[in-house]
Amino acid sequence: MSGAIPTIAEAARLIAAKQLSPVELTRTCLDRVHKLDGELHAFVHLTEERALAEARAAEAAITAHGPKGPLHGIPIGLKDIVDTKGIPTTCQSKFLQDNIPVTDAACAEKLAAAGTVLIGKTTTHEFADGGPSFDLPKPPARNPWNTEHFTAGSSSGTGAGVAAGLILGGIGTDTGGSIRGPAALCGIAGIKPTYGLVSRAGVAPAAFSLDHIGPMAWTAEDCALMLQALAGHDPRDPASASRPIPNYTAQLGSGIKGLKIGVIHHFHETDHKVSDGTQRGITAAIATFRDLGAEIREVQVSPLQDWLACGSLISITERAAAYEEWVRTRLGDFSDRLRSRLMLGAFVTGVDYLQAVRRRRELRAELQTAMKGLDAVLTATQPAEAAKIDAVPKWDLFGPPNFTMPFNVAGYPAISVCSGFGEGGLPVAIQLAGQPFREPTLLRIAHAFEKATPFRDRRPALLAA
Amino acid sequence: MPAEIPTEAFEFLLSRAGLDLTDEQKAELKGVYAGITAMAERVRKPRGYMAEPAHVYDFTEEDLA
Repeated sequence: MSGAIPTIAEAARLIAAKQLSPVELTRTCLDRVHKLDGELHAFVHLTEERALAEARAAEAAITAHGPKGPLHGIPIGLKDIVDTKGIPTTCQSKFLQDNIPVTDAACAEKLAAAGTVLIGKTTTHEFADGGPSFDLPKPPARNPWNTEHFTAGSSSGTGAGVAAGLILGGIGTDTGGSIRGPAALCGIAGIKPTYGLVSRAGVAPAAFSLDHIGPMAWTAEDCALMLQALAGHDPRDPASASRPIPNYTAQLGSGIKGLKIGVIHHFHETDHKVSDGTQRGITAAIATFRDLGAEIREVQVSPLQDWLACGSLISITERAAAYEEWVRTRLGDFSDRLRSRLMLGAFVTGVDYLQAVRRRRELRAELQTAMKGLDAVLTATQPAEAAKIDAVPKWDLFGPPNFTMPFNVAGYPAISVCSGFGEGGLPVAIQLAGQPFREPTLLRIAHAFEKATPFRDRRPALLAA
Repeated sequence: MPAEIPTEAFEFLLSRAGLDLTDEQKAELKGVYAGITAMAERVRKPRGYMAEPAHVYDFTEEDLA
């Protein structure tokens, strides 16, 4: 079964050559959903009839005129905080169980226009925060590499769904690591683009100034194909950037000789020391980049704790503001974990928030200086392999700092790619962050790494069962 | 900034935020107050009064036309 899962790029080539039918591909994905999702819980809502109708329409259009692009006929999932016209969008919350949007979010609209086939809405933490929660209308997603383990979140269903081949790609959102964390623990690729590159319109907020929308897929190349459809100015999003959109796949395959990659050693060696398996993956990745001709340098910035404090104070406040009305009137209807996060808003004063926003400007300037002349920086995405799902601490916010928040605070693009497997047999990952709006270079580096390593050849064992 | 919060101040903040909590929730929240104060201290640096926040106000060509 695992050998039957193509990447988006492979499927697109086969579809264009009329060697693969979008209907057949969609049915294969749905078969896997029916077989595995009772255990994985990657979906909160399936759109099976619509998927088959879209696949048939794609097939007819491709037969008549050829594909309109590489996403035509490709089965995807949308995180359930993404508005979808006529399809329930619950944000995994009791508040929105009957919510059926009348319009699509910008990202849903763009992927539909590119010809994708929507398999369903994927599992998220409630309003993309907290979790894993067991007191929500639907259970949390499970890690396909070992279903006793966590996927990370909050884009947990998209991560699990891609890894298990239920979909070939999907949408995640990332406020402090919610694309890159699940990508890392589920062994796939996920890119948080530069802030403003992909419209947030129609996506429920977690924290307005830290929220990013981005693709998750099996490979960096697939992320590039999806990003091509997603990127672009949107006046409905006040933070949307008005910039020319480059070709995100044009540089793939051109190698990385001469590119300069900085390693932020202190993030994963001192500020939050990673597991041996994760460290081995990082060390081997640095050697791989060197072998591929990249120049490796050391980079130092403020400790992770500073970035986390800044991002967390902003995030806590913006989230508390977004959901204040329900916090004041229906607090008991939130999940225990999200309720606890929302209560923290009472402790952050307006001055605390502004001091964090002033600190944000300083940290961003610091990263800009540290990355001068570099094409990317490298660190961990997660500290270790996935923990057991019942062993995830509720107050991880006050534990060791995460590795992903710095690039939400700075708004810089960052991608997670699989860098091997740890002692428990679950995936480990590296994180690469690039210069603002230079996603083509970042994707080029990630693609070169995936091509030079064997980790894209292995899928979760449950697919072979 | 103190790591512990007096009950009166704690109750004021909850009331100001419109939170009506159980005793159990209050105890839990009080337990993590030190974490928030540590973060609030960490973002404070000797930066002077001219240091601007990171908010960006961008005007598009359409705005300026």
